[in-house]
Amino acid sequence: MDFTFSFTSFLSLLTAVSLAPLFMGVILKVKAFFGGKQGPPWLIKYYTLIKLLRKGSVYSTSTTFIFKLGPIISFVTAFMLLLFFPFAGLPPVLSFHGDVIILFYLLGLGRFFTVLAALDTASPFEGMGAAREVFFSTLAEATIFVILALFFRLSGSLSFAEYFTGDQIVNLWSQSAALILLVLIALFIVLLTENSRVPVDDPATHLELTMIHEVMILDHSGPDLALIEMGAFCKMLFYSAFISSLLYPFHTGSGLYNGLIFSIIMTLIYAVVGLVESITARYKMDMVPNFILTSFALVFFATILTMEFVQ
Amino acid sequence: MIHISDIFLALILLSVLLSLRSNRLMALVKLMAFQGIVVSAVPLILDTAHGITFKLIMFFLLLVFVKGILIPGMMSVAVNKVVVSTEIEPIIGYHASLFAGLILIIFSVYITNHLHLAMAVQYKMLLVTGITTMGAGLILLMARRKAITQVIGYLMMENGIYLIGTALAKEVHTQYVVEFAVLLDLLVAVLVMGIVLNDINHTFDDVDTALLGQLKD
Amino acid sequence: MNLFFLALLLISAGGTQALATFRLYSLMKVGAVTAIIGGCALGACNAVWRLLQHADPVSYSHSWLQTFSFSLKIDAISAFFLVPVFIISAVAALYSFQYLNDAKRGAGTAINYFFYALLIISMALVACADNLITFALAWELMSVSSFFLVIYDVQKKATRDAGYIYFLFTQAGALFIFAGFGFLYSHTGNFGFEALASIPDSAKLIAFILILIGCGSKAGIMPLHIWLPYAHPAAPSHVSAVMSGVMIKMGIYGIVRFYLLLEPTSALFGQIIITLGTISGILGVVYAIGKHDIKRLLAYHSVENIGIILLGLGIGMLGTATGNKTMAAFGFAGGLLHVLNHSLFKSLLFMGAGAVIQQTGSASIDQLGGLMKKMPVTGRSFLIGSISISGLPPFNGFISEFLIYYGAFHGLHLQGTSFLFSVLAIISLATIGGLAAACFTKVVGVVFLGEPRSDFAARASEAGFFMVLPQLLLAALCLGIGIWPAHFVQVAFEASRAIPLLANYEPTQFMPIMTNISRTVILFFLLFFGITLLRKLFYVGKEVTSSGTWGCGFTQPTARMQYTGTSYGDSIVDFFRPFIRVEKKYSEIDKIFPGKTTYSSHVHDSSEIGMNTFLVRPVLYLLNKLRWIQHGNIQLYIGYIVLAIVVMLIFI
Repeated sequence: MDFTFSFTSFLSLLTAVSLAPLFMGVILKVKAFFGGKQGPPWLIKYYTLIKLLRKGSVYSTSTTFIFKLGPIISFVTAFMLLLFFPFAGLPPVLSFHGDVIILFYLLGLGRFFTVLAALDTASPFEGMGAAREVFFSTLAEATIFVILALFFRLSGSLSFAEYFTGDQIVNLWSQSAALILLVLIALFIVLLTENSRVPVDDPATHLELTMIHEVMILDHSGPDLALIEMGAFCKMLFYSAFISSLLYPFHTGSGLYNGLIFSIIMTLIYAVVGLVESITARYKMDMVPNFILTSFALVFFATILTMEFVQ
Repeated sequence: MIHISDIFLALILLSVLLSLRSNRLMALVKLMAFQGIVVSAVPLILDTAHGITFKLIMFFLLLVFVKGILIPGMMSVAVNKVVVSTEIEPIIGYHASLFAGLILIIFSVYITNHLHLAMAVQYKMLLVTGITTMGAGLILLMARRKAITQVIGYLMMENGIYLIGTALAKEVHTQYVVEFAVLLDLLVAVLVMGIVLNDINHTFDDVDTALLGQLKD
Repeated sequence: MNLFFLALLLISAGGTQALATFRLYSLMKVGAVTAIIGGCALGACNAVWRLLQHADPVSYSHSWLQTFSFSLKIDAISAFFLVPVFIISAVAALYSFQYLNDAKRGAGTAINYFFYALLIISMALVACADNLITFALAWELMSVSSFFLVIYDVQKKATRDAGYIYFLFTQAGALFIFAGFGFLYSHTGNFGFEALASIPDSAKLIAFILILIGCGSKAGIMPLHIWLPYAHPAAPSHVSAVMSGVMIKMGIYGIVRFYLLLEPTSALFGQIIITLGTISGILGVVYAIGKHDIKRLLAYHSVENIGIILLGLGIGMLGTATGNKTMAAFGFAGGLLHVLNHSLFKSLLFMGAGAVIQQTGSASIDQLGGLMKKMPVTGRSFLIGSISISGLPPFNGFISEFLIYYGAFHGLHLQGTSFLFSVLAIISLATIGGLAAACFTKVVGVVFLGEPRSDFAARASEAGFFMVLPQLLLAALCLGIGIWPAHFVQVAFEASRAIPLLANYEPTQFMPIMTNISRTVILFFLLFFGITLLRKLFYVGKEVTSSGTWGCGFTQPTARMQYTGTSYGDSIVDFFRPFIRVEKKYSEIDKIFPGKTTYSSHVHDSSEIGMNTFLVRPVLYLLNKLRWIQHGNIQLYIGYIVLAIVVMLIFI
């Protein structure tokens, strides 16, 4: 395993993680703008986290130890993903050939426990959310692995560091731009799915029956809920960083300059999520698989086309 | 180096995919307008070696007008005025159609490789896109019930044929004549559709092609 | 070799001893279990020792009736398959000590132990057989002994039916294997294994397909899996654990062994295996999601895992055919390691299911619930088994899936169809992984979490010590392989060295990757404990209370309102509807104040329906037409026999 004990790598990781709640504020601001409102303060998510961390908890009498395990594992797995991710072209803290497979499976582990924690409460609504979560994320996982297959075909690499900082980087500004374009659209769909955004799931809805992610964490409170929220921020940060690394070739140019461009692109991606959230309605539940399958079909097309490109 | 034409082809494939899973008539019509414009622009981008001639630009503008504005415009009028329900009523479900699309692209890559044509990679990609578009048009024809979706299926097939023609034609301009004739036919078809739909609508209060099955002997 | 025979002798002593002392119930059980465990431990140690020492193959041959010889040989692959055979059999025997506790059925239990011992011996012999005759004999012995194990509860009609279906499938499968052997014999002229590599390519394909059908029906490859969901619920749980954990792997062993012996060069073999793996893997898990009976669900998961194993082997075969060493090495190592892994977690899960069924008296998922509190140890070990079978880190299922992924990814450099099959393998693995997680969140969530849905679930208590201990052992093994995979992967790779392409291949890639995975997993645990500690700190001095679950505004919740396993899996099953037939029956609500309503759903197996329409019915039709042959006249029957002898004398 390549362990980069460089100050900049740690710094980039820490900066990214600490900025994650701020980026979430961008979405809220964009939505407020479209709603003609002033919206909550930029730092709203930090306030929420602090508030939650200062509280105690109420546990349902139906629950077991799994209910407490859920938040911890979902946060740890999402955070581990970031340890392996090169932010703004800087080498990641950890990396090895093949790390993407274990990382996406770790995300699966996090989901496994989130879902179990939801079922642990014996609430029919949480069961409903859990059933949707596992179904949709299974489809999204298929998309992700086809993307990984495509990247391997293009560059022969199997880790985030190799994708974005290696010899043969995967980027929109390369020969395979057309394919990456399809991947970008698919990845954005996966981002919306995995992070429970509109049009797959509406985090702002008020009816438990129609929720996916929010309903699964209904019974969590206090620091447990804070852990879940931080895990969700990390996950969102990861997918946005994934997309931005594809959008701009960070391997050239100086660190500070890259960092600036990276944060601009990140802000833009969050803003686009907010935009989508403002101008579209969520899909009927039975249309969601269709939506995610489109992302799968897109990357599958791209992968098949490599039979032509990469000879 | 980036091939801009590849991006255009990727956009065409994207529109093909979206049209297979689209469940709203209006969305489908908009998609077809988008596809029409992108398809018309393909020769303009591919033929940069020959230089962009006046003739080429004229053809481009004409095609964009017919494919991107005229036909979709008429269809959207039809959707707004005639059709009662805007859902597409599929015979073969959306998932299955998407799946068929996936198999289709494997098939078209296979066909392209087996033709053993001596052509640049770009043209091969164009051929793949063309065959896929044409096949997807066929799928739409088979798998959807509404009369408008039938016409859209034909339009998509025509787009596919046009792309295949562009890929295969050595002499660049002769094919436009043929293409134009086909397009004219299609235009007439759309007109006829409009009139017939209107009449059917007056008579049956519905425009489901399934009802036409009752007309058989 | 002597140690091996000693182990088999000890096991058979355990079996026969039980028959002799069946009137003294406890003594018989103690004697049988100790002897079987002792024999298995000896055998397992021997096999592990051979693998670790890279021992040279040993063989034994005994000539019999001049023409046939009974020959055995233990090479790396045999030793690799012997390890799960002995380990799982021993652990399941320990489990059976408390599981079989009906003192009134002394004779039945004794017979069960006898055939149990016979099954272990026959499986060991299958894995070591060194010529066609020995293989066929051991195979038949295995089928017959497992048949008697399945019909332990012979007084129940469902069990007899299940036994009948199993017997049909196993004999039809054997028929295909014998046909394949006959075909091979016609080309080589002897029963030995050595000459098989030299037969023509077209003959290899035919022979391989015949053996594939035969072994596939044992392994449970879709669409030949139909007996599994019948036989496993009917059999006692320790038997299901052994049958699902080990015996079906003998089918895989047959496929691997004959692939190695035939040394085919065509890529077609790999492509067939990958296609079958995809079908078994994805549809197996989807059917599992649709099932309501916990053991039937696990049976379908065996089909799924056989699919994963086949994907690994198929990738390996594709790599061998195209000369891609990384692909071949990782594919085979992954497939073989998954054989071991699956035997561990699947028997663990069957034992857990057995404990649940024994304690509650119900196998229906939708009637259970809240068992984690009542059966804490079983619940926790079942949770570990579930994570393992879903292929998630930090447990063993992930390791083998990772190897297969790695092999498949390295197949993406290939051209044409081989590339497509690599993509197919990757997509299938990803889909299977997600669906398996969906299925096991369903099982754990509905059976062990939440509130009990019935009185008998509420009254359950933890199973006995000897039923819990085996589960803990297996769970520890699952975790161990997940954290320190290096040696296990090494062993699996050594076993796959039998492939000529890999004979001199030094797996320089294996060790660093396994160390990296190991480190990542340890890092995960460190972070996990760190965050747990941090969480504790945040709760210091804070008010922590408990109350009922938030009912979203509803104030009178009952346990019956919980989401059931059926509703949990409904949307996924619906998604795969073209391949799956779901039958739903419910009473319409037609009044303002509706009365009692009912709902029931059943997922039909498409291959069962297909086999019924296209095979069973035509055959029945044909046989009905031939009914006149059987007329009851004894003289004419003798005439038939004479006729048959005459015909055979003329033609042979």
